[in-house]
Amino acid sequence: MFSKTRLVALMAVLLVGLVAVVVAGCGGGGSSSSSETTATEESAEGGGETLTVGSDIPYPPFEQKASGGGYTGFDVELMEAIGKEIGREPEFIDSSFETIFRDVAQGKFEAVMSAATITEEREKVVAFSLPYYLSEQAILVKEGSDIKGLADLKGRVVAAQQGTTGLELGKEKAEASELRPYPEGPDADNALKAGTVEAVIIDAPVAKQQAEELGGIEIVEKVPTDETYGIAVEKGNTELIEQINEGLKKAIADGSYTKVYEKWFKEAPPLEALEKAIEEAESK
Amino acid sequence: MKVFFEQYFDFHIMGEHFGEVFEAFLQNLLIFFVAAIIALIWGLVLALFRQAPGKKFIPIRVLTIAYIDVLRAVPLLIIILMISGGVPFLDFLPKDIRIPHWLGKPDPFWYGVAALVFVYGAYMAEVYRAGIEAVPSGQMEAARSLGMSHLQAMRHIIVPQAVTKVPAPMLNELISLLKDTTLVSVIAFGESVLVSREILAEQLNSSALVLTAAFFLVICLPGARLVDYLIKRNQGKMSRGAHIEVA
Repeated sequence: MFSKTRLVALMAVLLVGLVAVVVAGCGGGGSSSSSETTATEESAEGGGETLTVGSDIPYPPFEQKASGGGYTGFDVELMEAIGKEIGREPEFIDSSFETIFRDVAQGKFEAVMSAATITEEREKVVAFSLPYYLSEQAILVKEGSDIKGLADLKGRVVAAQQGTTGLELGKEKAEASELRPYPEGPDADNALKAGTVEAVIIDAPVAKQQAEELGGIEIVEKVPTDETYGIAVEKGNTELIEQINEGLKKAIADGSYTKVYEKWFKEAPPLEALEKAIEEAESK
Repeated sequence: MKVFFEQYFDFHIMGEHFGEVFEAFLQNLLIFFVAAIIALIWGLVLALFRQAPGKKFIPIRVLTIAYIDVLRAVPLLIIILMISGGVPFLDFLPKDIRIPHWLGKPDPFWYGVAALVFVYGAYMAEVYRAGIEAVPSGQMEAARSLGMSHLQAMRHIIVPQAVTKVPAPMLNELISLLKDTTLVSVIAFGESVLVSREILAEQLNSSALVLTAAFFLVICLPGARLVDYLIKRNQGKMSRGAHIEVA
């Protein structure tokens, strides 16, 4: 067995190693965060007054880090298009989704664009723009599965992500024998690949990306929901909301919405349905 | 202050979801009982392997020590995620082991039990070892001199005495084990933390988590007091001679 001095020597070596790792880690982290700030500063340059936008990044394809620094994604590029229409330059700020509505209500940033569903609960705290995206859920299964859609989920083991519309849809319509809420979406997809669950209900764009990346799984049905995404601002800031709504409508009318949508979702946007949803929201 | 109470002590939300959270808490207790029983046995086996005598058992001793050291050093959460995320893919194992559905419980339940047994078996082995080492070495020597084998001496002389010394530290381990059953929520098993987080996401309110914490308090607080009592009683036994001297 170890003698006492050898044990002390071993501990000393381990400690030195640990310190080295920690120091190296901190150095790396520090430099990356400084490059991040320069990226956002750069993107803030250019025409128009800056519009600060909070977003929980990453949530691809809605928002993610751009390879050349800064952020990109459907939300980011659509906000840029809207900004162009109203003469404001958006600057995205990475934020945690749990506190994002509180933060905008307290003025930490002017707007929130983070694939956020418009809900009554949230409307108590913030004001939402007109809907800019129709939420659609997808049923993901293993390739060659006998599940062909929502109706076949009866008596099956189904997974979804915690706190999402997909989970709600599963509770209300799937009649699954067991519905498993995973903390993160990719965990559910992994369980599907592993064969411990037979289907996953998740946001359609996310499902599409996962199916392409992982392989061996496919989308069998897309289910439209009543839910829409909106841009949130501080309650009472009607001026900004009106500007954003106007910019959004212009972006839809002049085709820049379609361009951004096709770039990120690789399909044509459901413009008719979206315009109907906008009309409904306006009549409220 | 009002916001604080609304966020953590909304009795309306607690009442509305009481049944749901309570049923989920019973799942925590179920994982606890299954994992505790197996881990108590597994820990004793490990402790005995670790004490195996002589040269020919060196490989077993080394392997056991390595197992105990590694499993005590790696976070339980990682073990849970590794089992759940990887075992179903190991297609050289039979399907009933890769994706277990024994006794009508779903696979995340068994992945959780397995992880808890692996890790807590290692912790408990150390508790048993402390108990075994607390038995005076003369006991083993006396037993061997009566012609008992090492195993017989363990079985009839050492382990029965060691077991009387472990309840207090073992109860501590069991309290930790009960609390750590909540970690199984990360692999989507419907226990109390998972259910209350779901309520948190729906209602933007933490009261259901407070309710879950209350259930754990009700079980764990008396447990902790019992540990204190057992330690005190043990000390009383040990220091009895001293008391007589003082008096």
